[in-house]
Amino acid sequence: MSAHGSVIPPSSSRNRAKDIGFRALLLSCLVASVALLALLFYDVFGDGAGSLSFDFLTKFSSAFPEKAGIQSAITGTLWLMGVCAVFIVPVGVATAIYLEEYADPNRWWNRMIEVNIQNLAAVPSIVYGILGLAFLVRGPLSLGRVVLAGGLTLGLLVLPVVIISGREAIRSVPPSIREGSMALGATQWQTIWKQVLPASIPGIATGVILALSRAIGETAPLILVGAASFVAFNPSGLDSPFTALPLQIFDWISRPQPEFKALAAAAIIVLLAILLAMNSVAIWLRNRYEQRW
Amino acid sequence: MAHDGRIQFQEELAGLEKAAMGGLDLAVVALDRALETLKHQDVELAEMLIADDDRIDGRYLEVHQGILSLLALQAPVATDLRVVAALLHIIKHVERIGDQCVNVGKLIPLDGHDPPAHPAMLENLGRMGAQARSLLVQAKQSFERRDAALARDLVRQDDEIDDLNRECFRLAIEIGDDPDRREWAMHMMLVARCVERIGDNAVDIGEQTAFVVTGLFREFEDASHPELAPQ
Amino acid sequence: MTEPRKDPEREQKRAQDKPMPRLDGAIHEHQRQEGDGAVAESAPRAKETIFELEDVGVTYAGVPAVREISFPIERYEITALIGPSGCGKSTLIRCLNRMNDLIPSAEVTGSIRYHGEDLYASGVDSVQVRQRIGMVFQKPNPFPKSIYDNIAFGPRVLGMEGDTDEIVERALKRAALWDEVKDRLKDNAFGMSGGQQQRLCIARSLATDPDVILMDEPCSALDPISTSRIEDLMMELKENYSIVIVTHNMQQAARVSEMTAFFTVELDEGEQHRTGRVVEYDKTEKIFTNPSDGRTEAYVTGKVG
Repeated sequence: MSAHGSVIPPSSSRNRAKDIGFRALLLSCLVASVALLALLFYDVFGDGAGSLSFDFLTKFSSAFPEKAGIQSAITGTLWLMGVCAVFIVPVGVATAIYLEEYADPNRWWNRMIEVNIQNLAAVPSIVYGILGLAFLVRGPLSLGRVVLAGGLTLGLLVLPVVIISGREAIRSVPPSIREGSMALGATQWQTIWKQVLPASIPGIATGVILALSRAIGETAPLILVGAASFVAFNPSGLDSPFTALPLQIFDWISRPQPEFKALAAAAIIVLLAILLAMNSVAIWLRNRYEQRW
Repeated sequence: MAHDGRIQFQEELAGLEKAAMGGLDLAVVALDRALETLKHQDVELAEMLIADDDRIDGRYLEVHQGILSLLALQAPVATDLRVVAALLHIIKHVERIGDQCVNVGKLIPLDGHDPPAHPAMLENLGRMGAQARSLLVQAKQSFERRDAALARDLVRQDDEIDDLNRECFRLAIEIGDDPDRREWAMHMMLVARCVERIGDNAVDIGEQTAFVVTGLFREFEDASHPELAPQ
Repeated sequence: MTEPRKDPEREQKRAQDKPMPRLDGAIHEHQRQEGDGAVAESAPRAKETIFELEDVGVTYAGVPAVREISFPIERYEITALIGPSGCGKSTLIRCLNRMNDLIPSAEVTGSIRYHGEDLYASGVDSVQVRQRIGMVFQKPNPFPKSIYDNIAFGPRVLGMEGDTDEIVERALKRAALWDEVKDRLKDNAFGMSGGQQQRLCIARSLATDPDVILMDEPCSALDPISTSRIEDLMMELKENYSIVIVTHNMQQAARVSEMTAFFTVELDEGEQHRTGRVVEYDKTEKIFTNPSDGRTEAYVTGKVG
């Protein structure tokens, strides 16, 4: 019985103070980071909102700020994302399937592959740019500074993300499903194709979208792979020169005229909007189709 | 990992066995009283004997209820199950033995305080009674020790009771010519029959012992299976 | 024995075109009388051995899990495998449909004969084995698909001939589930209760028209009423199928099975690991009223866990 005479004594004031202090600390960290972001947004919106217009989206780049628009940048970005997606989905998913379903984790080469993929996800993007320049633009494939090279470079950059999230999605399918399938007489391939993959598609799709939303903002590799910044046309094919939104932004920021800075801010807003949309779709996909086992 | 499981259940089962064996003790006491009553023509003792049969009946109900409870709640199997089944039979036999003692107790007062006794008959009955008592004690021992051989031996001893029973019958026919003692002799014949029944019940208890030990239920020997008698 | 790596394209083609290819003469096909889900009349049948195990042992990465297992399994009966945890009952039952092939480090020794043929002979196709010998697991594992697709999965991947709707209906009727789900076949299987899901899994294994159904503790995750329903189902099924059940619940083994094998796990002399063995295999009634071995007695009476 406590001094207060109640059956269940209240918590000590020291513990309560610690509890409150801890929560206050966490909250202040959250506020700080959100405040910084909010500041950034405010700044960008302040600079760029005025330049946003339908014309802005449909005009091509120009030396004159009042005539400049981001149509070629948007279409270039879309082409790049297309090539990237077509590359990363089959390659990434197939690798994930191999590593999860077929590879014997005790073999040294499989473990080496695994370690390497983890590392590759952390390699700075400019290294991929150099890789692309050396092997895709020049070197053995000699594609030149074209959409295909840019898309593949970005693909290589984000491939580890697809592989890792694909593996997670495949791994989250419980072994009982595989066992149940095999016990009915399905082969391993049938089990993967008809049970495991369909169940992991939401997870894989989420991973792909997240990979693409990372790729969409990469600038350094594209610079090296040779996306031109002054491109006043839409890409005509895989073998055409191109530009992309991040590059356009980079280019406009580097120009002396202050009007271009406003245009850059506007382009940033567009890029942020696209990113927000993509991530929202990813989250919606995950929430709607996620399998609760 | 061996551990002594189901301690509660083991204790309950042991308790039931103790109660049943206690019932057998009560039956022995009742038999002693019945023999006393017979020897001294003690009418008051006969009344006590009859009244006390309630104790044996009570014991029967107690053990019966305990067995039902154990079966329902604990689902005994294998040896435990056989023990439970045996106890159910045994307590029934105990109750029958009690009833036979009561029958003796009812017969004695019918002839009044001073019947015309025949010493040879009384002596015979005395021997039968003593033999039956020893049978009951041995049956109890055989079950407690789970000794099948001891149980089988009961058959031989019961044969002696059967011989004495035939002797009583012969004596009764002899006395039968005497009109004064005829009635008394009939009653004594019935007493002999009760004691003989007690002996049979003791042998049945022995059969239960054998069942628990071997898992096979086999009648030791009766009139329909003389070939089963021990050689 | 590891599952050989299959060529995916060939596998898919094979599954799609030919129904139930013969097993290179290794395992016979067995015909079954088809009723419309009705139970066959039980004429007295002579005992027929369907599995013969001789000196079977299983090791995982060199560590023996069970050894010297030798006993038969009879047709159209329920055989129960009981014993304390870790004695290898599940390991053994998984040998009967070659599910241990899925574990690379597992090695099976000794002889397992199914209808007289060696189950582990080199020509034998494990896919065909599993079509004939189905399995139901401890935790119900329906696929995240509709009820219809769950049942139809087996027949489809095996390329079974016949109208899929009929096959599904027949399997659900045999599993005593048809009336409950016939109006919602397209619903997701996850919406069913635990007991229904397990009956769905049973129906799923019935759809491939098997000979034997293996059950690895099928009721341990279920409530008593569902358990009771599945036990009733098992009694119905044994008219047409042979059932082997692993169970921790001795009362269940006592209720449903005709024959029982009691496993124990012991540390042999000079060994590091405890290995499982069959101590006694006999009529269930005998095991529970008068077992021959003291270890069996100690286990069934609960003195030893």
